Amino acid sequence: MLEQGTSFQHEFAVSESVYQGFLAVFNDRNPLHTDEAFAQQKGFRSVVMHGNILNGFLSYFIGECLPTKDVVIHKQEIKFHRPVYMGDRVTLEAKIDEVSEALGVRAFKFKFYNQEREMVAVGRIQIGLLA
Amino acid sequence: MTFDEVLSRVNDVFVDVLDIEDIMLKYETTAADIEEWDSLSHIELVLEIERQFKVKFTLQEIQGFKNVGHMCDAIVGKLA
Repeated sequence: MLEQGTSFQHEFAVSESVYQGFLAVFNDRNPLHTDEAFAQQKGFRSVVMHGNILNGFLSYFIGECLPTKDVVIHKQEIKFHRPVYMGDRVTLEAKIDEVSEALGVRAFKFKFYNQEREMVAVGRIQIGLLA
Repeated sequence: MTFDEVLSRVNDVFVDVLDIEDIMLKYETTAADIEEWDSLSHIELVLEIERQFKVKFTLQEIQGFKNVGHMCDAIVGKLA
């Protein structure tokens, strides 16, 4: 189960409810994320969605999309290459690139693409399989 | 590779993974001696040691390591 090279794909909607939910829970109201004029003045098309929304999507992917629920996230790293905006649909593509059967570890390389097939983020996430 | 060379490189891995500069591993060193060496760190240490030395340990081997010295002995054995 979850062998080296196994690939996964999942699409997420960066909807109003996702954005408002993130704001409500974490209260990061930095003007880049909440002030249209400010964001445009800084060179962005519109208010920029919080990058950690993608980490929330990763949490869902690991917790709910794998063939087993016996998982725990060890560590993750992510690089944000392009801004994500309200209404974007982002596709997560993840592939297992490291397996340790002895330690019950799986590591995924992942990329997020927007609907224009532009890469918005890349990273790596390591999980443990619970006994 | 000699035992001392392996121990030195393993020491470097510990410095890097645990992010502590002043560490001096000995044969008898165990997790009880290093605050940062917990169960998650242990996974990271073993994975990085496997990458650095290009070896693979079995679960039985990992569970059998009584201290750093035992692990280095195992590495020396796999590299021989």
